[in-house]
Amino acid sequence: MSDSSQAVFRHIPIRELSADQLLALSQQMKLSLSKVDMLAVQAIYQEENREPTDVELEVIAQTWSEHCKHRIFNAKITHTLNGEEEVVDSLFKTYVRAVTEKIWKDKPDFILGAFVDNAGFVRLDETRAVCLKVETHNHPSAIEPYAGANTGLGGVIRDILGAGKGAKPIGSLDVFCFGPPDVKESDLKAKDVIHPLGIMRGVVRGVRDYGNRMGIPTVNGAIQFDDTYIYNPLVFCGTAGVIPISDIAKEVKPGHWLIAAGGRTGRDGLKGATFSSASLTTDSHEEDQTAVQIGNPIEEKKVADFILAARDKGLIQFVTDCGAGGFSSAAGEMLSEVGGEVWLENAPLKEPGLESWQVFISESQERMVMAVEEEAIPELERLAAMFETELCRLARADGSKRLKVWHYGSLVCDLHVEKLHEAPRREMKARWRSPVVKEPKVALAPSSWTATLKTMLGDFAIVSREPIIREYDHEVQGNTVLKPLAGASGDAPQDGAVIRVAGSPHLMAMGCALLPELGKTDPHAMGRAVVDECVRQLVAVGADPDRLAILDNFCVGNPDNEQELGALVECTKGMAISALAYGAPFVSGKDSFYNYFVTDEGPVSIPVTLLVSGIGIVEDAAHVVGASLRHVGSKICVFGPTKRGLRGSVLGKYVSGCGLEAPPEFDEAEAMERYRKYHALVKQGVILSAHDVSEGGLGVALAEMAFSGKAGIRADLDRVPAEAGCTAAEVLFGETPARLVVEVAAEHMEAARQAGLVAIGESTREKWLHLTYGGNTLIDASVAELKAIWKSGLTPYY
Amino acid sequence: MPHALLIKFPGTNCDAETARALEAAGFTAEVLPVALLDESALDRTQLVVFSGGFSYGDYVMSGRIAQLITTSKLGDRLKKFVEEGGYALGICNGFQILTQLDLLPKASLIHNASGRFMCRWVPLKKNGSKVSPFLRALPEQFELPVAHAEGRVVMMAGDAASYVKSGLAPLLYGTDVNGSTEGIAALQDETGRVFGLMPHPERFLFKADHYDPDWSGAEQGWGYYFFKGAFEAMTA
Repeated sequence: MSDSSQAVFRHIPIRELSADQLLALSQQMKLSLSKVDMLAVQAIYQEENREPTDVELEVIAQTWSEHCKHRIFNAKITHTLNGEEEVVDSLFKTYVRAVTEKIWKDKPDFILGAFVDNAGFVRLDETRAVCLKVETHNHPSAIEPYAGANTGLGGVIRDILGAGKGAKPIGSLDVFCFGPPDVKESDLKAKDVIHPLGIMRGVVRGVRDYGNRMGIPTVNGAIQFDDTYIYNPLVFCGTAGVIPISDIAKEVKPGHWLIAAGGRTGRDGLKGATFSSASLTTDSHEEDQTAVQIGNPIEEKKVADFILAARDKGLIQFVTDCGAGGFSSAAGEMLSEVGGEVWLENAPLKEPGLESWQVFISESQERMVMAVEEEAIPELERLAAMFETELCRLARADGSKRLKVWHYGSLVCDLHVEKLHEAPRREMKARWRSPVVKEPKVALAPSSWTATLKTMLGDFAIVSREPIIREYDHEVQGNTVLKPLAGASGDAPQDGAVIRVAGSPHLMAMGCALLPELGKTDPHAMGRAVVDECVRQLVAVGADPDRLAILDNFCVGNPDNEQELGALVECTKGMAISALAYGAPFVSGKDSFYNYFVTDEGPVSIPVTLLVSGIGIVEDAAHVVGASLRHVGSKICVFGPTKRGLRGSVLGKYVSGCGLEAPPEFDEAEAMERYRKYHALVKQGVILSAHDVSEGGLGVALAEMAFSGKAGIRADLDRVPAEAGCTAAEVLFGETPARLVVEVAAEHMEAARQAGLVAIGESTREKWLHLTYGGNTLIDASVAELKAIWKSGLTPYY
Repeated sequence: MPHALLIKFPGTNCDAETARALEAAGFTAEVLPVALLDESALDRTQLVVFSGGFSYGDYVMSGRIAQLITTSKLGDRLKKFVEEGGYALGICNGFQILTQLDLLPKASLIHNASGRFMCRWVPLKKNGSKVSPFLRALPEQFELPVAHAEGRVVMMAGDAASYVKSGLAPLLYGTDVNGSTEGIAALQDETGRVFGLMPHPERFLFKADHYDPDWSGAEQGWGYYFFKGAFEAMTA
């Protein structure tokens, strides 16, 4: 018995070690700390005049990990663009925080919190705020797809429960990047890699089983398929919540108890934060299994009900979740200002015999930590019994500015909070060379444009995600007004989701965008286009363009490769330009590095991938706009100019030599003006339906609107407002950002025309897609036939 | 005013919107965590509701643990409550629980024929000459959303046909949704006061909940009339 009632820890001599020996120690303990970091650690202990314990080294490693501290986003980067050197003094400060701060000045009443809490907040109405957080769970999902994705969603839901004094989760979004499901097994270039099909099925089921059991509707998402994601798939999980504005501010004060609630602590999920801060190898599939946590959504549902009930009773002063780094980061964060004492033996365990460091950094799921006044504890215990969740007195804040961790009477960690949070700043090098822009040369003229459209509708980039969407409960809570699939038969694609918020006159829109194909050659253009697409989706479904908030989630390959880091720098620059122009603040975000896999033939990195997700305020239920045609005899309009260039487009995968030299240009200031005009029309009730023009261009957007099943479309593409010299390919399939296709009732066409919408055709009784250009018929196909191709694209695989 | 008691198990997650729907129809609604449940709770109640969700995770047979806990807490008091004129409603996971509790005609809810969870809208048609209190305000055919992995109703050979004939199966799917025998979507007891269904009426409370923005079937969503019918029957 003595084994399980004693601290198990040891001192590790580091003061006498050389730099190389320190690095070797870091590798041997899997601390993911660099030589510079280890020297900084050594300096701390030389000053303290003692050796660290293993608990302290683990705590420092978790706290300083890329996952927790975002050291690359805060690094000083010497960036060489086209031969010109510049110094970026923190990507985060320069291209994220500075943007938000500028916008904040104009919208002080709207932005209610950014970057400091687990999620960013914006005002929904007089008394309520909404918030959004998106996380990645890439490495766990690569080696254990079901559990990795399961706990990815579980983790981000806890971020929302730990936002402010506890927000209520009301909607989730999930975005995946997979290898193509039809990759041949024999083409996989490493042993023990899970086939993309296995990854996809496991990930979808993992998300399904957590989200559905939690009773949070999964309403929005996206999937990208590309060879570059075969070895390192990406799994983004996001959740939005609602909270009373008066419950946003939170503070830990000396004397507060830190109460842990929810699941027990075990050996699962050890070192997840440091694991995710290194690359994947074949060995990962064998060695890092303990880094993946095991999810139990019912445990989380119980703790969620408990937290929200406790918040409503005013019992919570501060709450956060146990994510990466477990208690060490939750308690460490809560005590980072004031300091305090932790008693590890108070934590209920899944099994006896855990070493001290294991209790402190375990990432066992479904745990939350609250700061509360002593007098609140009896009432909290009553609520915990009611919701059948477990509480423990983990720690107490004391104002000492030290983090003291006790385990059965032994002091296993004693660190100054400021030193713990002062990781050495990284200095890095990056470079990028802009692609050379040439005039388009050869005009593409396929034998049949209709056949090309069919090919595009069957492309993995475009096919219906219905088999996956149906696995998610997207209607639980009974508030999903604009669903992911709608139209007359409830199976046509939409641009975003709109959720009613109980008790509020206003609604919340959710959207997300990513365009990694464009980023392979032009990350700057991708950064801009991705922000535009997310903003445009939110505006399209009815959100007020002046009341949006967005999140940036980056996934990058090897940041020590100057080219890859350069792509990231360029992407953040592009994204900042658009966000500023749209007045869409970044209120939260996250980055994930080391997304590469060392195969038998060398490392395979993912392309720099930026996911921009967002929430927007929809003032009235009458403003909700779907992307499916509603009536016969409506005018079909295009809003926004079409430009030359096909780089990064879906069509670009099938053709060569036609405008691939450059992506199409767009102007954010003009686009914002259009979005405001569009929104004014929405409020006047002029807009029947609208669809963003994105992957597959105008041709695919028109087909998708007709998938509503209510009407066909006859249009003359000569009327499309387009830059001089545009080819048929560029008009039909070009992906110029900042454009919408809009259905307007004929009697309202004058108002629409005055706003700048251009009618290109009508919705027809005949369910047929008929598009002409230059006097020729380009597209001539039955909507049913096109829809069948689009709708069945994923069914063989899922 | 009839009082509805919604029993909330760990993992029950449709209680809030179900309470909202009940209140919209005129009920007073009370969500009670099962930890606080005892026999006396039934004394203040006219309608016991088992809402949707995943009680205890549904890792063993769906609804089974919830049934065991309910039985251990209430014994045969729930049966007596119904015999004395009380109403009981189970939606989705609640239907699974009611089936396990033996308050409905013998049947089981097993994995969908597709083997998958499924979230979609389904056409429904009323069946039989018995007027169910829950269906009385609804037309012969209407739509509701479903969201379940284990909604396929199966029973002993011959039972399904007899339930359809006798009206114990008061609601049928208009299309094959999950492989249910005879397309059975709901079951009721002989009195009609105990009613279990897989579709979610509480998710179609408002007109705007329909996937088609031009839907014009009624003033409110069909789900409203489901709860309204029960309210009218109980206050008639």
